[in-house]
Amino acid sequence: MSDPKITFTNVTKDFSLQGDKTFKELLPSLLEGKSWAKQLRALNNISFKINKGETVGIVGHNGAGKSTLMKLIAGVSYPTTGKMTIQGKVAPLIELGGGFHYDLNGYENIYLNSAILGMHKKEIDLVLEDIIEFSEIREFLHEPLKRFSTGMVMRLAFSIAIHARADIYLIDEVLAVGDTDFQKKCLKRLKEIKADKNKIIVFISHDEKAVKSFCDRAILLEHGKLVIDSVPKEVFAKYSSG
Amino acid sequence: MLTIFKPFYKYKFLLYQLVQREIKARYKQSVVGYFWVILNPLVLMAVYTFVFSVVFRFPVDIPYPLFLFAALLPWNFLQQGIMSATNSLVNNDILLKKVAFPREVIPYSVLIAKGVDFVFSLLLFLLLIVVFKVNLSASIILFIPILLIQVILMTGLALLLSTFNLFYRDIQYLTNLVLMVWMYMSPVVYPLSMVPAKYIWLYKLNPMVGIIEGYRAVIFGYPLEYSILSWALFVSLISLLLGFLVFKKFEKVFADIV
Repeated sequence: MSDPKITFTNVTKDFSLQGDKTFKELLPSLLEGKSWAKQLRALNNISFKINKGETVGIVGHNGAGKSTLMKLIAGVSYPTTGKMTIQGKVAPLIELGGGFHYDLNGYENIYLNSAILGMHKKEIDLVLEDIIEFSEIREFLHEPLKRFSTGMVMRLAFSIAIHARADIYLIDEVLAVGDTDFQKKCLKRLKEIKADKNKIIVFISHDEKAVKSFCDRAILLEHGKLVIDSVPKEVFAKYSSG
Repeated sequence: MLTIFKPFYKYKFLLYQLVQREIKARYKQSVVGYFWVILNPLVLMAVYTFVFSVVFRFPVDIPYPLFLFAALLPWNFLQQGIMSATNSLVNNDILLKKVAFPREVIPYSVLIAKGVDFVFSLLLFLLLIVVFKVNLSASIILFIPILLIQVILMTGLALLLSTFNLFYRDIQYLTNLVLMVWMYMSPVVYPLSMVPAKYIWLYKLNPMVGIIEGYRAVIFGYPLEYSILSWALFVSLISLLLGFLVFKKFEKVFADIV
């Protein structure tokens, strides 16, 4: 297996803004001769490379293209033009609700969510205890998830994602949720992953302190364009001034 | 074309988990729980038996509940399978947007879950056979290949409709309506013999006619009408091919349009 690596070469991503979601709306707009979809350029000619061992923060205002970039790296969306190669297994942190079912209990959800992240039963059995330990909510795991607080679900989601066996971890705004102690613990765990020089962590955050303390490198996106790709200090200087 | 089977080995555990989610979650916080799978057809049987065997008195030479169930249970499987598969991609939008795995796993998992329901509902059929002391024909073994034809048909439609429903939600309402019409255009509650001869060729273009008549023939030991069954197989294979091609063609934009 070759080393994990992310390469973007002149990647552009357009979306069709489909305002018309039903036939009822579609037909009149066809008759009026409007083009049936507007184009939105979410990413504009982006090039960068992330090698193994790197921890990169993606920074930018809402709508700058961060989530689109994440989708491309996660392998669920594809560039309109340009070339992208992702080497290695990607573990995205699935946002609340996505990989969970609220009627199933904590244990069932651990297996479900881990399976969605591409793990097999035996692999999950091996890390089950670590996941539970990390989440600190062992005594609730027999309850259906709908009895959990938002913070508890988040803990569980995060614990599962960072125990998934993967080469590339996509961490998305996670530190906005949870109490300070748990945030610290998450950062510590992420630092452990980072210390294993063979992984890549891509970290989306508005939190300047977290990016500065944790990432060696940051990429600033603005209106779909890559503005600067440098050490976090310089990137944030540009981000705050721009 | 071989990739069509990939979810069954490489993503076996994921498929298993999603099927389990589908089955377990459905009847949580319900008193009767999984027995709804049996209760539902039981009530339908009582109603249809009253309407079509007591009121209308359809000419069938086997006890009506048996005649009905040989078709109604597989039909329920088709209807519920297609309906929930059509909604399946839309319902799992967050997964589509977040994690990469072969997307067929999602419609497959709901079809399998409905298949499990179907197998359980067959217990009811076995019970009826005992109650009415009907002798089963040895040809009942052919039930399985005919069921396979139905599964092929369902898989094709599931792939096709789940994809289209991502683009336009009208598909799920349309599907619901078409399925209802389709049931009455198939010999589920009435015997094929009641269809007027001048329409019969048109009527038999419906692949479910061959499949349903096939079930009744092999269970009760009538001669099997191979021509309509072959037609059903042909239509089913076309549906699978079409469904698979469409699914694969649009799979890469699922996350962008959902």
